[in-house]
Formats: sequence, C-alpha cells, structure tokens
Amino acid sequence: MQVVIFSWEYPPRIVGQLATYVKNLAVHLVKNQTKTCVITYDDYVTGEYDEPEGIVTVRVTNPVHTHIGVLTWVLTLNQEVERAAANMYYSTDKQVDIIDAQDWHFIPAAVTLKKGLGIPFIYSVESLEDHRSHGANSPFNMAIKSIEWLGLYEAERVLVKSAWMRDETSRLYKVPLEKVRVVSSRSSKLAEEVLENYRTVLGKSK
Amino acid sequence: MSRDLSVMMLSWEYPPRIIGGISPHIYYLSRSLARNGVKVYVVTCDFPGAAAHEVVDGVEVYRIDSYKNPSPDFATWVYLMNLNMQKEAAAIIRQLGGEVDVFHAHDWLVATAGIGLKHVFRKPFFATMHSTEIGRRNGIHFDYERMIHETEAWLTYEAWKVICCSDYMVHHVQWAFGLPADKLVMIPNGVNAEVYTKNEKENLAMFRSKYALPEEKIVLFVGRLVYEKGVHVLVNAAPKVLEKANAKFIIVGNGYMKDQLSTIVNATGIANKVMFTGFVDDETLWKLQKCADVSVVPSLFEPFGIVALEAMAAKSPVVVSDTGGLSEIVNHDVDGVKVYAGNPDSLAWGINRVLTDQTYANALRTNAYRKVQEKYNWDKSAQQTKTMYESVLAEYSKSFWAKKTQ
Repeated sequence: MQVVIFSWEYPPRIVGQLATYVKNLAVHLVKNQTKTCVITYDDYVTGEYDEPEGIVTVRVTNPVHTHIGVLTWVLTLNQEVERAAANMYYSTDKQVDIIDAQDWHFIPAAVTLKKGLGIPFIYSVESLEDHRSHGANSPFNMAIKSIEWLGLYEAERVLVKSAWMRDETSRLYKVPLEKVRVVSSRSSKLAEEVLENYRTVLGKSK
Repeated sequence: MSRDLSVMMLSWEYPPRIIGGISPHIYYLSRSLARNGVKVYVVTCDFPGAAAHEVVDGVEVYRIDSYKNPSPDFATWVYLMNLNMQKEAAAIIRQLGGEVDVFHAHDWLVATAGIGLKHVFRKPFFATMHSTEIGRRNGIHFDYERMIHETEAWLTYEAWKVICCSDYMVHHVQWAFGLPADKLVMIPNGVNAEVYTKNEKENLAMFRSKYALPEEKIVLFVGRLVYEKGVHVLVNAAPKVLEKANAKFIIVGNGYMKDQLSTIVNATGIANKVMFTGFVDDETLWKLQKCADVSVVPSLFEPFGIVALEAMAAKSPVVVSDTGGLSEIVNHDVDGVKVYAGNPDSLAWGINRVLTDQTYANALRTNAYRKVQEKYNWDKSAQQTKTMYESVLAEYSKSFWAKKTQ
C-alpha cells in the first residue's frame, strides 16, 4: 500500500504537537511495510527531498513569498502540495492508494486530487477552528471553517484523537458519527489502527 | 488525435457576469475557437439566473460556486474562489475521461486553480495577462499588492506561453516579471464589427437629433470618467475645438470625475455643447458610435484601447493619445490621428483636423475599417491561438510528461 500524508508541520520544523505525531505515525507505517510519503512545508534547512528511515519526504515552499495572513499563505501553498503529490502519483505508475490529510491546511489539495485523479483521502483532525478561535466568526474564521467542512464532507473517513473530538465534529459540522473513528495518538498500536482505517476505506472505494 | 483539440478556459467572468474586459474577451475568443474546430470548456464564476452548465455558441460553459461567505478581503476571496474552481474543474475533467488537452487561464484571478490543474493533469498551461498589479497601481507599495504581483509572477512562470493583447503589454509583462522573450506571444483582441453592420441601411437621423442639432458635428467619448482615461483633457480641449468648428461633445460613461468635469464645462460656458449621458445600453452605444463624426480616446494610460477599435469598426474617424496600446492600433494620418497624451492643445488640433476636412475624415474611416477587418478580427485571433496550442502540443508530445500520463 502506498500512502501519502499531508502535514503542514513535520520535524525538524515543529510548530505544535502535530509534527511529532506525524513523524511517529510515518515511522511505524514504514515498519508495517507501508510505502509512506510525507509532503510538508520546507523549513529552509532540509532541502526538498529526503528519505530518512524509509520515509519519502517531500518539502515544498510557497512560490508567493509575501502574504497578508495565514489563509492566503495556505491557499497558495496547496498548489505546490498538489504538484508534489501528482509527481508521486505519476512516478509510481498511478499507485498512490490513499492520502491522509493532517488538519485543514492541505484539504484543498486532497479534495482536488480526489476529484481529479480518484485518490480517496482521510481527514485526520488535530484541532478545529471553532476551538482554536473560541467560537469567533469573522470572515477569516469562517473561511477556515468552510475548508474544514469541505474536508469533513469529502473525506472517506475522519480520524480524531479522542471521543470528545468525535462528538465535536458531529456537534459543529453534523458529521455522521459512523464516518468518524477515534485513534488515540498514544495508542501502542497506532500504525495498525490507522492502517485498519486505510484498508477499510480502500475496500470500500474498490 | 482523432477527436478535436480541446481547451479548458478559466476565467472569473463570462457573460452575463461582466466586470471588465475579460468577460467579452473570453466570450468572443471561445466562440471563435469553437468555430475553428476547437472544443472549448469555459469554467467561470456563477451568476444569479445563469445556468450551472450550458452550451453557448458551441462552447461548454460551467459556472461554479464562487464562495459566497463574507471574505476578509478581495485577494483572499480570489484564492477561496479558486479552491472551488479547481475542485469543480478537476471533477469535470475526470467526468470527461481526461479529454482536455490544454489549460488556459486569464489573469491572476484564476492563477492558483490553473497552476494546480496543470500539475494534477500534466497538460500544457497558458496564461493571458490582461493587466498587471504593478501597472494598475503604478508600482508596488504594500504587501497586499506585492502578494498579487508575486502570484502573477508565479502564473507567468508556470505558463508554457504568456499571451498579451498588444506589443505594449508584451514589453510591460516581460519587464514586470523578467520573462524570456520567446515565452511571450502577442495575439491582439478582436472587435465584433457585425454589431455595426447588421443594420447598415437604418436611418439614424431621428436618433441623432436626440443628441445634436443637424449642423453640429458629434465628438464622442466612451469610457469610465476616471483620471487615466483623460476625459478631463477632452473637456479642456472643447473650447479650442469650438473656436473652429460647430460641435457637440457626447460623453458616455460614469466615474468619480463626473462632478469635476461638469464644473469645468459650466465654468467655461460651454454647457450647451457638452452632454453627459451616463451609462447607455449596447444598442444606443452602437448607434452613437455610428453617428459620431469623430471618436476621441484621450487616455493617459491604456494597455489595449478596445474602444478605439470599436469606433473604427463603426466607421467613425478616431483621434487617440499616442500611448500604450493605442499607439499600435492607430497609424497616424492613415487610419486615425495621434495626439500628445495629456495635452488639450494637441487634442483640439487633432479633432479639428478631422472635423474641418471631410475628405481626410473619409479616408481615415475607410482605412480604419479595412484595418479592423484584416487585423483585429476574432476569427484571426482564434486561429493564432489555435496554432499556438498546436505548436506547444507538438513540443509537449516529446516531453516525459506526455509519456508518463499515457
């Protein structure tokens, strides 16, 4: 199985908890004989391509350097994520089975790749805008929420890290509970549990 | 290739959604491409009352949800709209079995959608630059403008060819983004002369009498009443024109300079010789252009100057500023008169030259009309565009992209 993980943070560029979690997941996926590619944002020290511990790591930069906010930065970075994912797709004879989008940042790329190339995706929720912004509803927050909504709607399955978050996706976005699965980031069988979800999605989409 | 060459056009406007010049450009270019055997898919923003999918003059038009939540600012809206445009376009292409040969984006307003589609489907990508941020703002002063400027630079970088509608814009775009000369292609806009010739026999005397006395010559200005269109230069030239000719100045359009212009007109005592019509409908505009004894385009900045072409197609003699795209459209003393930009004396001289010499005016009309027919027709622009697609596709067929995507 070939999986491509999208994450806006990844070691050595650590912003919050997500970077370490994704690295841990990728390491264990590889140990479980899963071909794993991580597409992330470049930190300007690592270079654009690397294969540490068998994890194909592609780092993209934003061709637009000047921005007025995180939203414009994210929305212009997505095309480079698409480019990297498409390169992976065509260089593996179209054998990319599934995309795992970590958090909302690269949902636009995941949705386009699903619609255009038929690659199913899982949306792994780290946090939601409603909690981050304490319920704020400015146009800026609404835009991020609309991207989260799009991801939750288009994803084959949603992975969350706690039962509380599962209830929150349902409360805030009316996601059917059977679409959401809880996989604790502290699980000793993290890769196995995530892989089980990948397999279910692939079985369903075939 | 057994089936026709196919192109997907991306544009933020297409009739009935009309914001600026891109909308008619896409409409005429797509229609003419379709008549030349190209399968055209236009993906554009939705508009109240317009169908989500329809066939217009042989062109498949898809209107996508253009993101209607409130947006923090215009640029962020553009990127959010592009998210929707890209995913919808991707779905359409998959539905078509991937049968789109090239992508063609118009301005930075659809840059991110186009760039993403290029890489996801690995097809040749074209960009037409109708304008630039650095030109619109006369420089880059704020981060907001720089972000748009860099998005434009990225768009031109990703495009296989960058198309501009005038030599002036070719040089401007080449300078603004540091592009290699062989990446730029000049394909002029066309003008639809049919709208002026369809009722050629019609008697316009009644219509004309609503605007001017029979002995008054009509001097026509069409455009937004804003500084860069130079309408104030025309108003300042009017008294000098009236010293030598009996004329009526008809000023069509609206803009923030309207009050200021009225003040000048009243102060110079020529209010009975100047008429502000505001916006007029297409039919009225076409008739006015046909009635005009001279059409004036006194712009201070003009990337192309389609209003001069329209006047030429309507067989009205033109007097234009020697600037930007206008410099290229008009050949002085042959098919129009060129005057110094921003100079009322020069403009008055040009207008009087046309108004006081009927033989000269008629020669300009004839030559200008012939030029429009030969050089600025959409059919010809579409053929040039098709040829450009074909030659790029021939190059592309030898690339590893073409082999990998088979």
